[in-house]
Amino acid sequence: MTALVIASYAGERAFRAGFEAARQSGRRIVGLWSPMPVELDGIGAAEARPIGWIAAAGGLILAGLFYLFIWWSATSLYSFDIGGRPLNSWQVFPLAPVEFGALAAGAAGIVAFLVLGRLTRLHDSAFDIAEVERASSDRFVIAVACDAGADANRLLALLAEAGAAHSRVVTP
Amino acid sequence: MSGTARWLTPPMTDHRAITDAVAGPIVDRRAGKAWWIAFLASLAVVLAGAAAAGLSFEYGPGLWGNNSAVVWGFPISSYVWWIGIGNAGTLISAMLLLTRQKWRSSINRFAETMTIFAVAIAGIYPILHLGRPMYFYWMAPYPSTMHIWPQWRSALVWDFWSILSYLLFSILFFYLGLIPDLATLRDRPGSRRWRRIWGAAALGWQGTPAQWRTHTRLQWTMAAIATPLVCSVHSIVGLDFAASIMPGWIESIFPPYFVVGAFFSGFAVVVLMAMVIRRALDLEGMIRPSHLDAMAKVILASACVMGLSYTTEWLSALWTGEASSLRFLRFSFTGPYLPFQILMLIGNVFLPQLFWSPKLRRNPIALAVIAFGILIGMYLERVQILTNSLSIGWLPAMWTLYVPTIIDFLILAGALSFWVLLVLVTARVLPLVSIYEVRALAEEAKE
Repeated sequence: MTALVIASYAGERAFRAGFEAARQSGRRIVGLWSPMPVELDGIGAAEARPIGWIAAAGGLILAGLFYLFIWWSATSLYSFDIGGRPLNSWQVFPLAPVEFGALAAGAAGIVAFLVLGRLTRLHDSAFDIAEVERASSDRFVIAVACDAGADANRLLALLAEAGAAHSRVVTP
Repeated sequence: MSGTARWLTPPMTDHRAITDAVAGPIVDRRAGKAWWIAFLASLAVVLAGAAAAGLSFEYGPGLWGNNSAVVWGFPISSYVWWIGIGNAGTLISAMLLLTRQKWRSSINRFAETMTIFAVAIAGIYPILHLGRPMYFYWMAPYPSTMHIWPQWRSALVWDFWSILSYLLFSILFFYLGLIPDLATLRDRPGSRRWRRIWGAAALGWQGTPAQWRTHTRLQWTMAAIATPLVCSVHSIVGLDFAASIMPGWIESIFPPYFVVGAFFSGFAVVVLMAMVIRRALDLEGMIRPSHLDAMAKVILASACVMGLSYTTEWLSALWTGEASSLRFLRFSFTGPYLPFQILMLIGNVFLPQLFWSPKLRRNPIALAVIAFGILIGMYLERVQILTNSLSIGWLPAMWTLYVPTIIDFLILAGALSFWVLLVLVTARVLPLVSIYEVRALAEEAKE
């Protein structure tokens, strides 16, 4: 039977030690939660990597489309002749698209963040773990899967030894 | 004291204490007497300002001091002043993030808050100034049978797009930083209704490593976009003037000079807010005298740049010897607006020089006096940019002075109070200090 060992840490250093201990024990780390940004090896790097590119692509594409729209509207759709000034005043057309492109880049980044960070899941099963609630306040939490019984007790001792402020075994 | 420890003092080095100090007053405590007094006083002035704006809608801009020569009076001065203040919050937050300034953690949230409200208020002024405010949407491109279409070659249309983009971008940037703290409020025992609201706004934030990494990556990305965006927004406001042919306005220095002015006045507001918030919310352990000292140094540097900009403007007129520029310069220093010119120079250039003294940089009274002096000086600068040029334009027959009316002052006071009101309400429902960033700073201080 599989059990879950959940350990809470009061500080980042102990949390890192707990993470290392769990990883070296060879068990599967089911979840990690922290009240502040903590980078643990490469975890989450793959999700974060495309953010900048998505924001840049969103910004450039929408800025480009906006420029084309301005050019089309100024030269053919609603063309005004103001004192003989050229209809295609390309020197000043980029101003609004650059501003709008910056907004579009930010919005594209936010959408990417929501998708890649797996947000908008208001009722995720992780919220059933009581410790996760404190991970938004003052606790660094780690959940590790193991076999129930002696294995769980060994893991519990291991995580406690790394500096856990509180730890427990959850069995289904 | 050096390093990270300068910015936090015990017990603000403990995660629980940090969370309790910032989230506690929002979730656990009811608003105090001082909050209610400030709220009701601001509300009263807001109502007076709204009545003045209502009268302006009913009877038109003839109620203002604007005249046929000085067509841009208080509404446009106020717009430029507010947008300047509004530029600073995001700029401060983004630039301090990009330059890895540790002291950013305690001030960035309220700097961003003040930005959003200031930009929103700034946006109201051009609409008021239209005279027919119900047609403001003509600035946006939409299929129109009347062939009413934005003139893409006009600086005022660039303004519309830059302010709109900047406001929405600032809201996104602010909200992004807020998400982890909304989760903190959600998970804290308290009112069920509010926990549901915070919970929905937190979007299911858990604080997993993947979420933190994507969050941090996006914050850096947005900060990198925000910095040039902010500079471009106020540069475009500068172009409203510089792209014209009015003496005193047709200056190539205007865009950068406007950006520095914005940064300068915004920092003055942030200093004032920092002093109020640290006292009112009992956050003296995380908004330290070191923060005030750092901000005062930035203000001092900006004041020197302001002085340099003014001098460059005057000397350019002298060197070129162009008649209209010389007339403008003579009018600024010998005309009827001279007392305001002197007050402006005192507020923007001379008063901040007191910050060369390390003692005064940490003295709350000196900080408050200088910050207020800067805000008044910057407002006078915005007014004089308009009045000094427009009062003596190209047609001598139209030369006339600008005198604001009581309606102008009421609208200005109403807008100021509206900003205070919005900040007061925000302080009751959202953390004005970034909790998770202060926690990260506290962890760093332990090492």
